[in-house]
Amino acid sequence: MKRCLSILLALAMLLALAACGGESGGDAAGADELVIWHDKEDAVIQALQDYLAQAAPELKITFEKKTSLTDSLKLVGNDPSAAPDLFIFAHDKIGVFAEMGILSPIGGLVDAAALEDMLPMTLDAATYKDTLYQLPLYFETLLFMYNQRYMLPDSVPATTGELLSYMQANTGRGRYGFVEQHSTAYYSAAWIHGFGGSIIDENGTPFPDAGAVKDALAYHLKFVRLMPGETEYNTVNTLFLEGKADATIGGPWMVPSAREAGIKLGIAPMPTVDATGMPLAPYSGVQGIHVLKFAAENKTEAVKELLAALADPAIGVSLALASGCAPANEKCYDDPQVAEDELVQAMRATAEIAVPMPNIPEMDVMWTVTGNLLTDVNLSGKDIDASFDAALAQANDLISAMK
Amino acid sequence: MKSRKRATLYSYAWSGPSLLLIGLMVVFPILYTAYISLTNMNVYHWFDFTIVGLDNYIRALFVFDSGFLSALLATILWTAMSMLFQLVIAFVLASLLNIQKLRFRKLYKTVLMFPWAMPGYVSILLWKTGIFNSQFGLLNQWMEKLGLAAARWLASDVSAFICCSIVNLWLALPFMIMIMDGALQSIDRSYYESALLDGANWLERTRSITVPAIRPIIAPAVIITIFTTFKQFDVVYLLTQQAGAKTGSGFHTILTYAYENAFITNNYGYSSAISIIIFVLLIAFSARYQLREEGDR
Repeated sequence: MKRCLSILLALAMLLALAACGGESGGDAAGADELVIWHDKEDAVIQALQDYLAQAAPELKITFEKKTSLTDSLKLVGNDPSAAPDLFIFAHDKIGVFAEMGILSPIGGLVDAAALEDMLPMTLDAATYKDTLYQLPLYFETLLFMYNQRYMLPDSVPATTGELLSYMQANTGRGRYGFVEQHSTAYYSAAWIHGFGGSIIDENGTPFPDAGAVKDALAYHLKFVRLMPGETEYNTVNTLFLEGKADATIGGPWMVPSAREAGIKLGIAPMPTVDATGMPLAPYSGVQGIHVLKFAAENKTEAVKELLAALADPAIGVSLALASGCAPANEKCYDDPQVAEDELVQAMRATAEIAVPMPNIPEMDVMWTVTGNLLTDVNLSGKDIDASFDAALAQANDLISAMK
Repeated sequence: MKSRKRATLYSYAWSGPSLLLIGLMVVFPILYTAYISLTNMNVYHWFDFTIVGLDNYIRALFVFDSGFLSALLATILWTAMSMLFQLVIAFVLASLLNIQKLRFRKLYKTVLMFPWAMPGYVSILLWKTGIFNSQFGLLNQWMEKLGLAAARWLASDVSAFICCSIVNLWLALPFMIMIMDGALQSIDRSYYESALLDGANWLERTRSITVPAIRPIIAPAVIITIFTTFKQFDVVYLLTQQAGAKTGSGFHTILTYAYENAFITNNYGYSSAISIIIFVLLIAFSARYQLREEGDR
């Protein structure tokens, strides 16, 4: 009896291991069956499903949520039996996947006329080495948000100088005039761009304008000293949501919780840097659909039909109404309901100044390098020049170690 | 003779599935990592990688710079301190649990096992936001009540080291207490009775009976804990070095250092070489410790 049980248990374990292989899109499905991986919230996927059921009824589309989508794609991206046919993700990994050789250019899969109405910023973001790899659906960018209970609309700072004065007058005794994730690259990039600098250029050169980055760091430090020592999302978010901070720079994902917390939320244009006359220009993330090579070659018609449906402004409107996304298609903003949405319109306005996150593979290491630089200057009080030199050396080492 | 061979074959056959699983889950990843470390597998050669010999190992030696050496020293100090406190505290608590006629013994044991029952990730983040956070943390609320200035507990190297050690202790103590408790219960009471008749005090009984008796029992647990602590990543990374939530502390263990200086490059060949070097370092420590243990016997 015991022997039988042992054999059964051993077989069960082996079967469990074998089952780990799973089955996904690619050659596991028919030519009109498409599997799409994503990491989006339910409202976005529901809007997509509802729309596609009407717009492309003959396609059998399955959406699969993956929490570590990029890692999974790195493992199985070239295995048609395990990989999806398409995936929805931000544009900043395009370079990595294109270099890995799993992404298909979408130029031949979507009508050029359908792309004419896309916001130029979104197409720039979706292009890597002059090739378009993503059909943009919507984009996100940081916004200047304020609590109207404490910061009156007519006292919203138009310039960083005004913001600093406001912070000096309203910070202390457990309250803050303004908070942001000051020592993380994604947030501080806006300040670097405001001084004409950048974290990395399109050729993979880190900090191409050293002077601009150092000036931005030195100027930003004045603001950091009036903010809490913690730079992480939860602290900053909670301070704003609990009414302990009058204003913040945050993403659209903060809006539902701010409204839930009963905050009378105001959204304003990004302040302009007095010294340069340029606004704080945050990064933008363009969410769109990417096609894997196997699907592009073996399910061409189905993929073309899907992309044609998703290039239509109607899906952009649905997404904007369902979850406050800012559509990539310019025509969506003509819709009366979208036109009335303050949040979506604010993002549309910020799109004019926002800088798409670099999509080159080298950017992967620059998040850490820039985070270290900001931490050294803002939190450890280290010298700006020495910290910058160390960061530049680390960036060069890591970039060369990528190859 | 024939039946002996048959018995040997049978024992291998019955342990075969387990050996296969161990091979798949432990040995195969190590061998595969060693293989990848000899290739140029990176973003630019993800699926078409080729063997490049020891190139990655030569490059990896550049990561072992002064930063790595200070991380290695910090890791050794961190491991030694953690082990010392774990052994002392676990011994004291296990001894208290073994007091004769102790009431609610099972309740205390259950409570002491709580940290083990919680996922480490959750525990660490709870400590970070609930205890150490400068705005909302318990420590600063106490400081405020005492009229003292709020502190950034995770910002400097020394205070971050102490905070990380406390969290690591909290996470690791249940295992050591359980082993120590079991070891103490295995000691024959008659030794203590004889020692009492000979007039030995508590310290003498502990030194001459308890410690020698529990030493061989807790030795494997100590070895396991040394290596878990040595290759600790979660506690230090999540408390002080997490991307987007860095605190300003420069305290690194070898793994957090290697992560920041190699693993983020997406160069699997290069990262694998570093992993193998760290693995060899750990094996060398392990062999040295085990040889010493055997020598002591």
